[in-house]
Amino acid sequence: MEAYLLNLVILISIYSILGVTLNFIMGYAGIYSLAHAVFFGVGAYAGTFMAMHVNASIFVTLPVAMAAGAILSLILALPALRVRGEYFVAASLGLQVLAVTIFSEWKSVTGGIGGLIGIPPLDVAGFEVFKPSQFIFVTVGALIIILFIINRLVHSSFGRSLRAIRDSESAAAAFGKNVPLIKTISVVISSALTAVAGVLYASYLSFINVESFKLDTSVLIMAMVIIGGTGTQAGPIVGAALLLLLPSLISYLDFLPQTEIGSIQQIIYGLGMALLMIYRPGGIVGRKKQSETGKE
Amino acid sequence: MLALQLTIAGLQTGALYALTAVGFSLIFGSTRIFHFAHGATFIIAAYLFYFVNVSGYGVIMGVVAATAGAIIFGLLLNRFVYVPIQRDEGSFFTVFVASFGIGIVIENVVGMIFGRGFVTVQTPLSFSVELMDGLYVSPLAWISMLCAAIFFGILWCFLKYSQMGKALRALSDNPELVRVFGLNPRFISACAFTIGSILVVPAAIISGATSGLNPSMGHHVMLISLAATIVGGIGSVAGTLLAGLALGLAESLALLYVDSQWTEAVTFAILFLFIIVRPSGLLGRSAAH
Repeated sequence: MEAYLLNLVILISIYSILGVTLNFIMGYAGIYSLAHAVFFGVGAYAGTFMAMHVNASIFVTLPVAMAAGAILSLILALPALRVRGEYFVAASLGLQVLAVTIFSEWKSVTGGIGGLIGIPPLDVAGFEVFKPSQFIFVTVGALIIILFIINRLVHSSFGRSLRAIRDSESAAAAFGKNVPLIKTISVVISSALTAVAGVLYASYLSFINVESFKLDTSVLIMAMVIIGGTGTQAGPIVGAALLLLLPSLISYLDFLPQTEIGSIQQIIYGLGMALLMIYRPGGIVGRKKQSETGKE
Repeated sequence: MLALQLTIAGLQTGALYALTAVGFSLIFGSTRIFHFAHGATFIIAAYLFYFVNVSGYGVIMGVVAATAGAIIFGLLLNRFVYVPIQRDEGSFFTVFVASFGIGIVIENVVGMIFGRGFVTVQTPLSFSVELMDGLYVSPLAWISMLCAAIFFGILWCFLKYSQMGKALRALSDNPELVRVFGLNPRFISACAFTIGSILVVPAAIISGATSGLNPSMGHHVMLISLAATIVGGIGSVAGTLLAGLALGLAESLALLYVDSQWTEAVTFAILFLFIIVRPSGLLGRSAAH
């Protein structure tokens, strides 16, 4: 039971990092990305590559993974953010589909569909972290640091610019804000921090393959943010906890077919997303109607 | 000869892409609703046809069921999801998320009923006939192109000459003016959804016989529809048609140079190129921002 809980908390904190970073661009900048799992995957593969071939220290793996995520997101963001929101949705969906092909074909780095096994444990300043009871401090710590960074960004002038862009792009541009630049920076920051979750995930499981970084994962992360509440501090964490607890809650209900738990989970959060948008667009943590949040 | 073979295959795929994409483009262009569940409409039509056909009721009943299913789904979604959201000034994103959520539900319900693997509609029409030395074409290729030609012919006449077609074009220009003019935008939207959903049906049915069906193919359908809409120019039906054809051709001709798993990369490359070089699309008005 203790091992089960530890595992759950570690996974929730990793997915919370994913949710918080997606929420940063979605909730504060109004950029809707269907490619969040790509940056998660890039972080995981880049970190693993460094850990297996160069050095397993987090002072090597984390910066490389973050840089890889940042560079890739820059390539996506520079052209796609100069135009309207629909374009970014389309471009990110395309990137997600393309990335799955690359993850499964680039066998020398990603191990192909079979994935990579025997990923070395996290090396924090010479101390190897592999027991779940130790790992939990690393993931929760990382979550807190990332929350802190994002919290500072959101409450800085940069964050106010972001929200201004979200609420009215033309008004922000009229006030002399360089809209494409601000949006691009926010995407790059978000992707670099997302890559951290990838490194943690890979070294925690010591096994990764393309299955973890498909469109389904991008959708799951998006559902976590939306159901928890876009543009709120606690929303993504609530959403991550809720959606990760869902499969075990479903398995307690004996009348549901156990082989279909994955499908039932997706049906529940798909319906949840649709119903929330009709009745409570702000999510669980958010306020009741979006028009109210617009007035702050 | 291989190039010719791939060109015909590309035109076949392109015709189906164009039909699906124009359905999305018409809905998006006239109502401004980001109808991401368009892929779900495709799945519903395709699986209804497959189910009716496998149960032994024949092709005609299958087409009727698929068409009815697609229209009903489109209208229900519009009435019970999009209209309530738009009532309190739903943003682009609120509509998108709701639509996306419904898409996930449909994908999984279909997956639970029919299984997650590929299913194919069996028909003698998919057997290839040797036209020339080394050139094999199945009757379905001609059927796809003919279907596209007929549907687009009807659509063009409808948009150009009928009262409702004019109203649809007016709605995409200025919804306020449509209301002032005494037309009901709600009713015109419902019409857009009906037509957009019907356009998916031939593509869904023929795909069932050519490439096979899979509950998660809705995302691929959406990627193609979005790419064609953007490449063609948002709001331009003719542009979307051309772009759909071009994407199909490009994917097919790319097989001369790369393996088949990279075909989606070709779509992505074209989409990305257009976003960088010409965001207003082939025939779009220059309103990318």
